[in-house]
Amino acid sequence: MNQLILPILLPVLAGVLCLALGERAKGVKEALSAFVSLVCFAVGWGLLGGDTASFSAPWAGFGFEFALRATPMSAFILLAASGFALLVSVYSWAFMRDKTADLRLYYSYLLITLGFSCGAVLADNLVLLLFFWEGLLVTLYTFIILGGRQAQATALKAFLISGVADLCLLLGVAITGVLAKTMTMSAIRLPVEGLGGVAFVLMMIGATAKAGAMPFHTWIPDAAVDAPLPFMAYLPAAIEKLLGIYLLARISLDLFGLDGSMRVLLMALGAITIVLAVAMALVQTDYKRLLSYHAISQVGYMILGIGTGNPVGIAGGVFHMINHAMYKSCLFMTGGSVEHRAGTTDIAKLGGLFRNMPVTGVCFIVSAAAISGIPPFNGFFSKELVFQGCLDAGFPVFFWAAQLGAVLTLASFLKLGHAVYFGERPADKDGVRESEWPMLIPMIALAALCVLFGFGARLPLSLFIEPALAACQVFPEHALSGWHWGFAFAVSLCAIALAALNHLYGFWRTGRAKDAAEHIHHAPILHQTYELAARRVFDPYDQGLKLIRGTGLALFAADRALDFVTAVLPARAALAASGLLRKANNGLYPYYLAWALLGLVVFALFVGGNP
Amino acid sequence: MQQNPSMMLAAVLIPMVGCFLLPAFAAISEKARNAFAVVLASAMLASVLSLIPPVWAGAMPRAELALPLGFDLIFKADPLAVFMAAVSALVGLFIVIYSLGYIAHYPNQTEYYVMVLLFLGSMMGLVFSMNLVWMYVFWEITAICSWRLVGFFRKELDVLRADKTFLVTAFGALCMLLGFLTIYADHGTFNLEALRGKPLSGTTVFLILLGIFSKSATLPLSTWLPDAGVAPSPVTALLHAAVLVKIGVYAFARIFCATFGLSPEWSEAVLCVAAASALVSAGAALVENDIKRIIAYSTISQIGFIFLGLAVDNRIGVAGALLYILMHGVAKGGLFLCAGIIEHGAHTKDITKMGGLFRTMPVTAVSFAFCALSVMGIPPFGGFFSKFMVFEGAIAADQPRIAGFFLFGAVLTLVYLMRLFYAVFLGEERGHAEHEGSTSMVLSVASLGALSLLLGLAIFYPASYAGLIIDQINAGLP
Repeated sequence: MNQLILPILLPVLAGVLCLALGERAKGVKEALSAFVSLVCFAVGWGLLGGDTASFSAPWAGFGFEFALRATPMSAFILLAASGFALLVSVYSWAFMRDKTADLRLYYSYLLITLGFSCGAVLADNLVLLLFFWEGLLVTLYTFIILGGRQAQATALKAFLISGVADLCLLLGVAITGVLAKTMTMSAIRLPVEGLGGVAFVLMMIGATAKAGAMPFHTWIPDAAVDAPLPFMAYLPAAIEKLLGIYLLARISLDLFGLDGSMRVLLMALGAITIVLAVAMALVQTDYKRLLSYHAISQVGYMILGIGTGNPVGIAGGVFHMINHAMYKSCLFMTGGSVEHRAGTTDIAKLGGLFRNMPVTGVCFIVSAAAISGIPPFNGFFSKELVFQGCLDAGFPVFFWAAQLGAVLTLASFLKLGHAVYFGERPADKDGVRESEWPMLIPMIALAALCVLFGFGARLPLSLFIEPALAACQVFPEHALSGWHWGFAFAVSLCAIALAALNHLYGFWRTGRAKDAAEHIHHAPILHQTYELAARRVFDPYDQGLKLIRGTGLALFAADRALDFVTAVLPARAALAASGLLRKANNGLYPYYLAWALLGLVVFALFVGGNP
Repeated sequence: MQQNPSMMLAAVLIPMVGCFLLPAFAAISEKARNAFAVVLASAMLASVLSLIPPVWAGAMPRAELALPLGFDLIFKADPLAVFMAAVSALVGLFIVIYSLGYIAHYPNQTEYYVMVLLFLGSMMGLVFSMNLVWMYVFWEITAICSWRLVGFFRKELDVLRADKTFLVTAFGALCMLLGFLTIYADHGTFNLEALRGKPLSGTTVFLILLGIFSKSATLPLSTWLPDAGVAPSPVTALLHAAVLVKIGVYAFARIFCATFGLSPEWSEAVLCVAAASALVSAGAALVENDIKRIIAYSTISQIGFIFLGLAVDNRIGVAGALLYILMHGVAKGGLFLCAGIIEHGAHTKDITKMGGLFRTMPVTAVSFAFCALSVMGIPPFGGFFSKFMVFEGAIAADQPRIAGFFLFGAVLTLVYLMRLFYAVFLGEERGHAEHEGSTSMVLSVASLGALSLLLGLAIFYPASYAGLIIDQINAGLP
């Protein structure tokens, strides 16, 4: 059997097996899940160095082949995805134990998600990619709904938003396939003009929506509150980013030759996502919700990096993707650890937990520093590359937007960390203990990776990113790794200082760490905007549903009108006509005689005349 | 190669003749009658399935009875006919099994089974007929059966709705008959084999399309279909999902794709009608509160997608439409049958009075979800492939704008089916203690749900068969 089939088939089969396991088989599904992820990890590792492996089998005909192909990029994504599946499996061992959700379902969804994700990154046929990609909708939905009754509305929201984006992707794939006259991804190279441009934009919508970019992001903060927490660390923080950015990189670098306007579109989307989402993150008062807005905001850097179109920016975008998956997963896990022990994630009810949970606290600090772009952690280096890419591309406006995002990111993490781990501890949290080892190990591993990928980032860039880009024909002119002293570096340091000053100012004004961003929250204009956002005026989901409901009513009225024309009117006409004819049948002999004579005349005129 | 037509004739004659023996069995006992009905439906399915291997190998069993005035009775099992027969017989069998539980407490059961089997038998006759007159005859037999079946409950509203169904479809059928007569006037034959590749006049196309649209419930002749939702659920499954509405689609494929070909102007017109039909009824499905009316509107909407694939008339589009017939028949049949279980359990059809049924009806809920996912076109369920293919067909025919309209239709499909699922199965529990349906009912819906998934996983087989059909109908045409 080809090794490419393994990471698809094995997790799916194991997932089905989990469903069949009895309730009493304790530990089996956890072990199975960890083992299967490990096997996939090993397969990914094996593919990393080797030549491009491929597999092909007949599938649905009509050019839809079950074609798989491992490029350095997909091997790297495969490795990362199965690594996260492994860590999340271990983490869930302790975290999910006291939850009411059915664990058989939970592990089954986790595994099937892994299998479908591996399928999506390995697919070399666009329809096969779409098959796995859209198939993830089902497990996305079922995962969230494990959160119980209150998660139902969020699950619906996630399903509909992602479903609409996937339908856009579907049409984009159809157009691409027709224009390229093939569905084989490695054989497609299209210009973005006319219908090709439409195809690119549709596929871009699918890719960026999966990654959680605006405006397809609004289910993520809701899911952060309602869904089981490891789900957040697994899907929105890690796998969905990996998949979305993978596809975005494939279509922008490989499938289409981008022109300037498409690049600006991508960069603008990235910059807007960075700034707006981080502005929302700043005013959140819930640990998980705050993190989820950062999960949106950080996608902006990846899209921005890829949108620059130069090797430095693209490398930065892809590097940021893997960095983000690591520190955001870790951050969500620390949030879960706090929830697990302290029973809440409302930062107003937390404080001073560092003494109680030192390991969680250290992991939080490392990963928060990484996401905030503090040297020497990994996030600093990927952001530097994105910043430099913006400058090289000649768009300083996006550079400054990204820097503004960096300032606000750090400010919100200073607020969060200060409020949760330091400051005064509420009396009822005195007895809080550190979480169990199964939860700590994944966090420590991810925090360690954040350090390992930092310090000049030589290892990840040379081992993963550069080979992946080389496969897409992207070759940077000079070394990407190492420290680049320059303008971007200096501005980044100023951004860090600015964020620190902002926090100190806010803390000094209010005296409470959780309110350290209130001076921004209540600034003129911003305050009103935040109010509107809180009322979901800017949520495309709520507005879209209103629009769809209105359209539905209008279409229903059209249907009723048609019913009137095609059913009611003919019936009335028939009744009226038969009423008239009935009147003619009045039983009076002279009338009948007159009708007969009239008939004779008509006959003579129309028929009798021409023999 | 086996050219023996006996299995094809068996598929037609077993249900058509056998159904009239049902009253005799009913005289023995109810059990004997029910058992015989299931035997007839199974035998019909078995005969049709036994045709697949020879047809796949290239054989085309044929039977002919010469009659005067162009009324020759010609039956031919070509790939398209066998495909339609197999889909109808497959879903038909599940519907008969389901009926054992569903109608066990109502009067007129014997008549019900006679009508259902006569209906299925005439469907077999219709798809195998290669003569337009005989197509019309079988077409009208299905109309008479559906009239009786829609009015099964015999209350005033039921009878009125049954009349509406009959009048609209019969009006269309008469228009179509006129169209057939103009074909006879132009070419001197009703034989479809002899008519291959001949030109068609605009009047003829218009008249035949009226018949097709009335039977397949497409705008503007669509409103009888939601109104006929008063019928028992297995009947709505039979009529609205699996068989009756597919007659029009089949006739379109047979007449316009396999025999005559459609001019670009008419193709464009059909596309516009199909798009309007898909959108208007999807919008109506979003507003309705009656579970069966919602699913019925959904059928009208999905039929629009099938016409999209057929009207673009390229390889991928037609393949998508054919797969759509299969996937939609299975999944929508399952949805209607689920609706029947829900209606029995909740004692209402109003979704605003339901909620939280997942707990009491888990099997029905999961089957419903599987079928709904297939209708939405979410992989790995079967509906994904058919939906993708008709979109690709539309793009390949250079109709991106029409594809855009249908994309909106697909979005509406997501919304109304999720709304339905939420209102029925999730949320607050309302009403009184509900329960799952009887074994035969739950078994039927579970099988159809599982089949929806299975068809997606094993897409290789239906898709290759669709390829075979297209090769055959394109053979010899320019």
